[in-house]
Amino acid sequence: MVLAQILLNGILLGGLYGLMALGMALVWGVLNIVNLSHGALIMLGGYVVYYLFTIGGIDPFVALPIAMLVMFAVGFLLQYYLLNLVVRSKMLNTLLITFGLDVVLTYLAQLTFSADFRTINPPYAGANFALFGLTVPSVRLAAFVVAIVLAAALWFLLHRMALGRAIRATAQNLVAARLYGVNPSVLYAVTFGIGTALAGAAGGLYGMIANLTPYIGASLTAKSFVIAIIGGLSNPFYVIFGGIFVGIAESLTALYIGPTYSDVISFGLLVVVLVLRPNRTLRTS
Amino acid sequence: MNRPLLIVSLLVAAGLATLPWLGSDTMIQFGINALLLATLAQSWNILGGFTGYVSFGNSVFYGLGTYGTAIAMTNYNLPFGVGLAIGAVVAMIAALLVGLPILRLRGPYFAIATLGLNGAMMAIFSNLPIAGSNIGLVLPLTRNDAMFYELALGLLVACSLTVLWISRARFGMGLIAVREDEDAAGSMGVNATRYKVAALVMASFFTAIAGGIHAYWSTFVDPASAFDSTLNVRMVISVVFGGPGTVLGPVIGSFILSTVYEVLASQISTAAALLFGVVIVLAVIFMPKGLADILRSRRNLTWRYFIRNIRENRL
Amino acid sequence: MKKQIGLAGIAALVAASLLAPAAQAEDVITLGASVQLTGTNANTGRYYKDAYQLAIDKINAAGGVKVGDKTYQLKLDVLDNQSDVNLSVRQYVQLISADKVNFLLGPFASNFALSDSSVAEKYQIPMVQGGGAATQIYTRGYKYVFGTLPPADDYYASTIEMMGKMNPAPKSVALVAADDSFDVSVAKGTRKHLADAGMKLAVDETFREGSADFSTILTQVKAANVDAILWTGHETEALNFIRQMKGLNVNPNGLYAFTVGVPTADFRKALGPDANYAYGMTSWLPNPSLKDKWFGDAAQFAAEYKAKFNYSPDYHAASGAADVETFAMALEKAGSLDPKKVRDAIAGISFDSLYANIKYGADGQIVLPQVVVQIQNDKLVPIYTTDFINKAQYPTPAWDKR
Repeated sequence: MVLAQILLNGILLGGLYGLMALGMALVWGVLNIVNLSHGALIMLGGYVVYYLFTIGGIDPFVALPIAMLVMFAVGFLLQYYLLNLVVRSKMLNTLLITFGLDVVLTYLAQLTFSADFRTINPPYAGANFALFGLTVPSVRLAAFVVAIVLAAALWFLLHRMALGRAIRATAQNLVAARLYGVNPSVLYAVTFGIGTALAGAAGGLYGMIANLTPYIGASLTAKSFVIAIIGGLSNPFYVIFGGIFVGIAESLTALYIGPTYSDVISFGLLVVVLVLRPNRTLRTS
Repeated sequence: MNRPLLIVSLLVAAGLATLPWLGSDTMIQFGINALLLATLAQSWNILGGFTGYVSFGNSVFYGLGTYGTAIAMTNYNLPFGVGLAIGAVVAMIAALLVGLPILRLRGPYFAIATLGLNGAMMAIFSNLPIAGSNIGLVLPLTRNDAMFYELALGLLVACSLTVLWISRARFGMGLIAVREDEDAAGSMGVNATRYKVAALVMASFFTAIAGGIHAYWSTFVDPASAFDSTLNVRMVISVVFGGPGTVLGPVIGSFILSTVYEVLASQISTAAALLFGVVIVLAVIFMPKGLADILRSRRNLTWRYFIRNIRENRL
Repeated sequence: MKKQIGLAGIAALVAASLLAPAAQAEDVITLGASVQLTGTNANTGRYYKDAYQLAIDKINAAGGVKVGDKTYQLKLDVLDNQSDVNLSVRQYVQLISADKVNFLLGPFASNFALSDSSVAEKYQIPMVQGGGAATQIYTRGYKYVFGTLPPADDYYASTIEMMGKMNPAPKSVALVAADDSFDVSVAKGTRKHLADAGMKLAVDETFREGSADFSTILTQVKAANVDAILWTGHETEALNFIRQMKGLNVNPNGLYAFTVGVPTADFRKALGPDANYAYGMTSWLPNPSLKDKWFGDAAQFAAEYKAKFNYSPDYHAASGAADVETFAMALEKAGSLDPKKVRDAIAGISFDSLYANIKYGADGQIVLPQVVVQIQNDKLVPIYTTDFINKAQYPTPAWDKR
């Protein structure tokens, strides 16, 4: 029973992990930018939902799409006015600029939101129900469903819509993208905006499960990294599976070895996956 | 690097060696930190600057050096020198063992594997009772900052001379060949893997010693400070800022960044992190090729130089 | 060009040295501290900065400190360590050797106090710190480090004593602790206290500092059907733990208690009604019976603090204010600014303050009982010190019966 409950915990948490990594995988796969400020963007999304909920009185799940729009705008502007300036330079330079961006965003968040922790705590936050003797936390289940829905939406966008085809073409080469009649600068910005919107959704859901502080970004970036690599960058559903895999692995580690070992396992998995499958394709196919 | 420049550099180093008798305690302290960071940047340069392999795992070797020294001194009461040696040997063995599999990875894969390695190491050490678990270890207190300063300076000079040798030796040519075109280098008879692993092992030696010096000096180590990936980012930024693959670039780059950071942290205090982040962003946008490139093109250095950089890299 | 390069290096070093501030005025005693004003610990770090400032202003307004036959004003020199231990160590050296502060006040948190205090010891400048409780700080034989937080090992002593007097008394206990120095100290002491009280340690789990997900531990706790959960970690983790307790419907038969978080207003605000029934502890309550030379009593201190900074002080703030008062008392007693003499004066001091009776043990640490508190109907209620103060709401009802 304990094992079943722990597997359930891992799967539900893993869905959210997958959603966290989804935006990073998209930006990485299409724009070839390894975004070290991804966690900070998740954090910002969490705060947007927090303020919509506490000041606007909007239910957090209703606030989620609004926050995604806001974060889309943030991402669009960041890419259009800042990251587009360096996108053709070496990978190292984009790593460094997003690291700098992470520092700046974290600091500005502290200035604006203060260092106090915030919780998105709607009345139903602690609700749960019993199923076959297991306790299912309702909010975590809802977060899991949202993650699957967003992954499906992203898949649909990439594979069934003209914009998505243009985005995928961009991943192959820039010239091809022009054939779709879209300005590459705008297309890059839209792609980064979508990635940021997904991060924003992940942040809102995260805030319903754990506290928000300006400093949660770094560890979320690391987690997203691990999952994006394990899941691969080619298919949104693989990323979600990657998240679930890491969620289960962490839960089992905590159960059988000890909670302090879960980082050993997730980072260890990252290295092992890379070493064993070095030739995995990076780009979206 | 030509002969006059070498002589000037060694004179500067000799001048710096007199600081403990001339400067205040704060200056000595700043000096130790700046020299250690410069050493770390210079070691990073051996692999990263010459081969273009971006490692975020140098903090692993730093951490191993730190803990090697700390464990030897606190748990076994061994002298500082022995601790340093143990840390360095352990780090070099680790570099050899992890270098072989992960140096086969290219581009971002390598960078991320090293990042993962550092995360895993931090988590492992925070579970090791002999390393004080997550609490860390307290080393004996020594009131001899001049010694630490001279050690750090000596280490930086040794590391820089090594890089100077690399830049002139066949070994360095091989590393550069790997950077320019790894496959072509292979077909020209350069054993790329052997070159890269050798570079990583050399880097791990200096990095570990720097970690050991810092551990004894600061008298306290814990996993978060020993395997600090921000420190690794600082090494990278220093090298990129100064000029990768050059002999003096990383040293000057890290001196300047140390000064900026220290001034910000001690004078403006609270906004320091923000300004540091802004400096990084601006540096990447306006001078992605580092100071060395600016100095090279200093004769016609106008605002056009910076615009050209943007034009080359923007979409 | 070569010269330019060489000069750049020297210029960098020279620039740093020029930044040393001007010498202080004659009649001022400067207390220096490096505190977490930004970064992960900033929400507790602010208590120290504000408390230091308030206490110093108050002492100055009352005429300052009389040392020998000369009167001095106190001055505070605070730097922001950005919640970075390495930076804080560097800043303490800067405070001593460049800023020439006379004495040192502490940072927040045990791991900071642990490393920063070696700077004080190295330069033989007394440091009185109210932010680090881990026993490791005081077992190194240091002479210049004093602390106003009680030993971490005994944080749960009063809670366990109280549990023994509950009806029914908890028999099996789950201990959940973070893996940093303070919490490991707490856990170690708690295991011993539990064994002495004859209670069974049914679950003993350590989690990684900064963890956000406790679902595995909670599942194990639930399966063990324990009577009490004793938890120690950081405030933000405590909040996550309680919220996830509710989400996974975990409720011990008797009670659940936390070392940190419960006494703060933030905690109640963030959790709302879910904060009710949680037990906590504090080494200080704003009680008018704690008389103080400068503030009158602890209640007046709390009122002035709230009026000035717009949030209520907790034990961190009171402990910080007591650190400043320690220096004021010790300086008058020593009649000298000599660090060694002041150090000896601190070691032998005993006075009543808004925080407690201040008297340092041979190891430099104060001994104070923890008051067990509980949140009852959104209010913080003191429950137990050596005997019951108020009636505890016990046992804790299930989540769906509240």
